[in-house]
Amino acid sequence: MCECKNCNNCDKKDDGLTISRRKAMAWSIGVINLAVFGAVFGPVLGFLGSPLRARSKKEWVSVCGLDDLEPGKTKEVTYVVRVKDGYTMADHRYALYLKRDGDEVVAIDPACTHLGCKVQYQEKQARYLCPCHGGVFDTEGNVVSGPPPKALIRHAVEVRDGQVFVQRNA
Amino acid sequence: MAREVITPEKPAEITHPPMEPTEELRVERPSLRDWTDLRLGWWGFVRKNLDEPMPPGVGWWQTLGNLLLTLLLFQFVTGFALAMFYAPSPQSAYESVVHITTLVPLGSFVRGLHVWGSTLIVVVTVLHILRVFFWGSYKKPRELTWLVGVLIFNVILGFSFTGYLLPWDQKAYWATVVGTRIAATVPFVGHDLLVLIRGGEEVGALTLTRFYAIHVMLLPAALMGLTALHLYLVRRLHIAGPVLPQKGKPVPFFPVQLFRDAVVVLVGLGLLVYMAAAFPPAIEAMADPAGTDFSPRPEWYFLGLYELLKIMPQGYEVVATVVVPGLVSLGMLFLPWLDRSPSRHPAMRASIIVAGTAVCLLIGLMTLKGILETPPPHGESHSEPAPTHAMRVE
Repeated sequence: MCECKNCNNCDKKDDGLTISRRKAMAWSIGVINLAVFGAVFGPVLGFLGSPLRARSKKEWVSVCGLDDLEPGKTKEVTYVVRVKDGYTMADHRYALYLKRDGDEVVAIDPACTHLGCKVQYQEKQARYLCPCHGGVFDTEGNVVSGPPPKALIRHAVEVRDGQVFVQRNA
Repeated sequence: MAREVITPEKPAEITHPPMEPTEELRVERPSLRDWTDLRLGWWGFVRKNLDEPMPPGVGWWQTLGNLLLTLLLFQFVTGFALAMFYAPSPQSAYESVVHITTLVPLGSFVRGLHVWGSTLIVVVTVLHILRVFFWGSYKKPRELTWLVGVLIFNVILGFSFTGYLLPWDQKAYWATVVGTRIAATVPFVGHDLLVLIRGGEEVGALTLTRFYAIHVMLLPAALMGLTALHLYLVRRLHIAGPVLPQKGKPVPFFPVQLFRDAVVVLVGLGLLVYMAAAFPPAIEAMADPAGTDFSPRPEWYFLGLYELLKIMPQGYEVVATVVVPGLVSLGMLFLPWLDRSPSRHPAMRASIIVAGTAVCLLIGLMTLKGILETPPPHGESHSEPAPTHAMRVE
């Protein structure tokens, strides 16, 4: 009968220093399992997390002519850009609120800063209203009431040769 | 049905006394049932389950689990059928769902079974959870059965959230824009979380493939594993029975309780078939990221959360998106350890009963408020798809 604490079938006594064959194999099995898991889940997690490493850059897009905008009024315009959407290049349509003051144009993104619903401009009230959770913004995009944490995002605008260009993330 | 169970450990004794020639023939050529039983032990497994003792007082309330299991199996079958006609890309998802709904024979009905099935599953799951809660059936030694059940509930909600995007219509797109933005309100890692879930900054092609993969591979695998564990625990620990032990002897699961199960399954499935046939699910206009004239709304069982978001003051949305749902989830998960009372009787654990009822009432009221404030659906009636859809396909 073996007196070893670590195994049932060897004839060595456990001296507390020598690692038993049984224990060594148990550890090896554990290490092999870890390596196998790592070999599968490591690359898979890195693969799934790849969108985190994508860096966005800015680009200028022509959205309309300056003459299309009536001074002092807010107008909703839509424009189409060709964007890389995952595995495909696609024409995406985006909306934008443009407000013209003289030759100055302010471009307000319609995505509510609360949870991303599209705000709707109400001309009579001169307010942007969010249909989801009741956010209200003034004509400059500042929060008037409701849950939105900050003002609507403004895009940088340039007017070149009578065309309105807006800077957006590509 | 007294019948000896044949197991590999205990083969049938066939040595003595000397057998008649006909008997010898039977042993050499066993019946198909004996042959399979020796190898699979199937009959023993079935009989063990049919003989499962039901404590006196077990009745109609204990049929919900079986109904739920049947609905989930149905969902798997209809989902498999839909996946055969569905294409998960922004260019084709909408067209393929319109094709299923308008042109594939019985397509609208099968899609109806899947859509109404998801609603029915949520309703039955909630009833099942409430029954276990009020009966105190989650107490020792059934804590883990409850915990696994709560995980299954979360998997079911995951199914409904990911499935909602797949038709790629306005409702699907905008509910997902808002739903995924909720992840961005998590402090510190919110934005990374959002990008991980969407597969990019915007809801797009990669969001759709991600949600599709999660909906048809990850969640079904998780659901199967968890459900197997749940059922194993239910059988291992047996049914808890009524809060106060009742007079009488336990009766086998078959036939009385199984008959009740069958009746409830029949009624539940009947309701599902009726809903799918009478109210085929609509499909709205195709997702338009530029559309500003659309009011996004989530599926009705997320409306409570939606209403909570409305009443949160500026800067406190994280309370509605993370803190409250997180606390409710954790409270549910660890209920067996929060409720320390050894008694299962509701009167003996008043604080937990009151707290649980209050949470249920609040969720119910918020959901009701959300339902009442929902504007009528956009566009045409449910039963007739808009002509534009048909034109798109042709």
